[in-house]
Amino acid sequence: MENAGIEGSREFLLVREEPLRSTPPVLAQPVALASGTARVRGYGLLSLLNDRLIDYYGMVLLLVLWEAAPRLGWIDTQFFPPPSLIAREGAKLVASGELLVHIGVSLQRTLQGLACAISLAVPLGFIMAGWFPRLTKFLTPLLRLLGQINAFSLFPLFVLFFGIGELAKFSIIFWSCLWPVLFTTIAGVKQVEPLLIKVSRSMGSGRLTVFLKVLLPGALPSIFTGIRVGANVAFLMLIAAEMIGASTGLGWLIHNSSVNYVIPRLYLAAVLIALLGMSLNYLIHWVESRVVTWKQEVSVA
Amino acid sequence: MSQNSPKLPFWAVDRWIDKLSILLFFGVWELLPKAGGLLETFIAPPSVVVRTLGDLLESGEIFGHIGVSLGRAASGFTAAASIAIPLGFLLGSSFRTFERVVNPPLRFLGQVNPFSLFPLFILLFGIGELSKGAMIFWVCIWPILFNTINGVKGIDPLLVKSARSMGTGIVTLFFKVILPAAAPGIFNGLKMGSGTAFFMLIAAEMIGASRGLGWLVWNAQTNFQIPQMFAATVVISVLGLLLQNLFTLLERLLLGWRENAVH
Repeated sequence: MENAGIEGSREFLLVREEPLRSTPPVLAQPVALASGTARVRGYGLLSLLNDRLIDYYGMVLLLVLWEAAPRLGWIDTQFFPPPSLIAREGAKLVASGELLVHIGVSLQRTLQGLACAISLAVPLGFIMAGWFPRLTKFLTPLLRLLGQINAFSLFPLFVLFFGIGELAKFSIIFWSCLWPVLFTTIAGVKQVEPLLIKVSRSMGSGRLTVFLKVLLPGALPSIFTGIRVGANVAFLMLIAAEMIGASTGLGWLIHNSSVNYVIPRLYLAAVLIALLGMSLNYLIHWVESRVVTWKQEVSVA
Repeated sequence: MSQNSPKLPFWAVDRWIDKLSILLFFGVWELLPKAGGLLETFIAPPSVVVRTLGDLLESGEIFGHIGVSLGRAASGFTAAASIAIPLGFLLGSSFRTFERVVNPPLRFLGQVNPFSLFPLFILLFGIGELSKGAMIFWVCIWPILFNTINGVKGIDPLLVKSARSMGTGIVTLFFKVILPAAAPGIFNGLKMGSGTAFFMLIAAEMIGASRGLGWLVWNAQTNFQIPQMFAATVVISVLGLLLQNLFTLLERLLLGWRENAVH
């Protein structure tokens, strides 16, 4: 994949092999790709439907297996409750209103930390990379070092400083988010094509225009990557922090369920955390697609 | 790292100017607690930390902790790699449709927060080595597996076809074509896996262990031994950096032919 020469020749070969598409795609024979996703062979609407649904077969199969296995006695029900039990437990918690409180608290903590980190890191990154490039170069090794410190090993330090309260949790989320966003902002600003800046300057745009119309859009894709990484890390640290020192939130729910041996609730919280993390990711993707409209979609198999 | 820019001469300030910031940081760190009050209680200046480190090294107990931590990480990591790499090869090459079916649930499982599974592992395997090993295993297996699958999927079929057309047997094909072509992806997965493994290990040791570096930090904090806490944190950070650099070095040695070697 690194050698452009062979890649180019492969593309050339592929173009040669595919017939001209004069027939509508539904009736044309789908070409099996040489690499990447496996396509479903066959004609017609049914195979197309199959091709679309195949992504979901796995999850369905997993759910079915998971439901069946404890009931059939293959695995211990105590440690692996079937999804129906988990769902029932979930319904119970929703009815009592607790679940929404926990989800809300966890989400609030994550978003607070994330928002504060972004609102500090992005302007700081712009100022550093735009106005003080030498200073940035000076500080980069130090910042890189600080960013690499295991956030978890700093957790006791934060607890010592701020006590076991909201501030400690907030600070660790803030810390873990800050570095990825800052680094990607600096990198994003640095890689803006200097030609574009010069061109806009030569047309007489002031600093603000250059910032808003050239620098900001140029750095935005990189910034969003950093935000995504930061969000993932933040969520991870949040759950850990809640497990150690909190009285509400999904992390606390897990800890509490394990201590009180209510296994279905533990699974419920774990699944919810995974879903929440995925939806957070999806939300950031969506915001990115709305804001950074010019970015070309790179499809990953 | 750009291969084209020549290194500045030894006496040029610019070459050392970025290292200067780290020195400055240490200087500030040293002086900050002298400001007194809260900072004095909670921050141990580097001189004290170094002295504490020296004591720990002398007594030799830190080597025990380092050994325990690294051992746990290494065992979980190797176990995960030895399962994930073959499985990734199988899924990526032969069982394409199966892989496509199985990918979403695997992806979902890989996204499940490892911390949320930690109590489950403790319940299943007890508060012993096995639960921590299982945790590291779980955390490592997903990046390695996915990266192996992607690495195998991304092998240029033209290479395989040309090797086949020259009559290579399957063993040679594997070792000379498939393995090197998939190697960058696999290595990337191994690098990611090792970083995450170390991270999770420290976390796991903080929560439920009686030895190891993570335990050292947590124990020092509970007993309010600030210098020890700082010393342990420093050791953890240094080890993490060393591990990363080790992988980068390995990558350069083994995969030196890559045109755009990332560092």
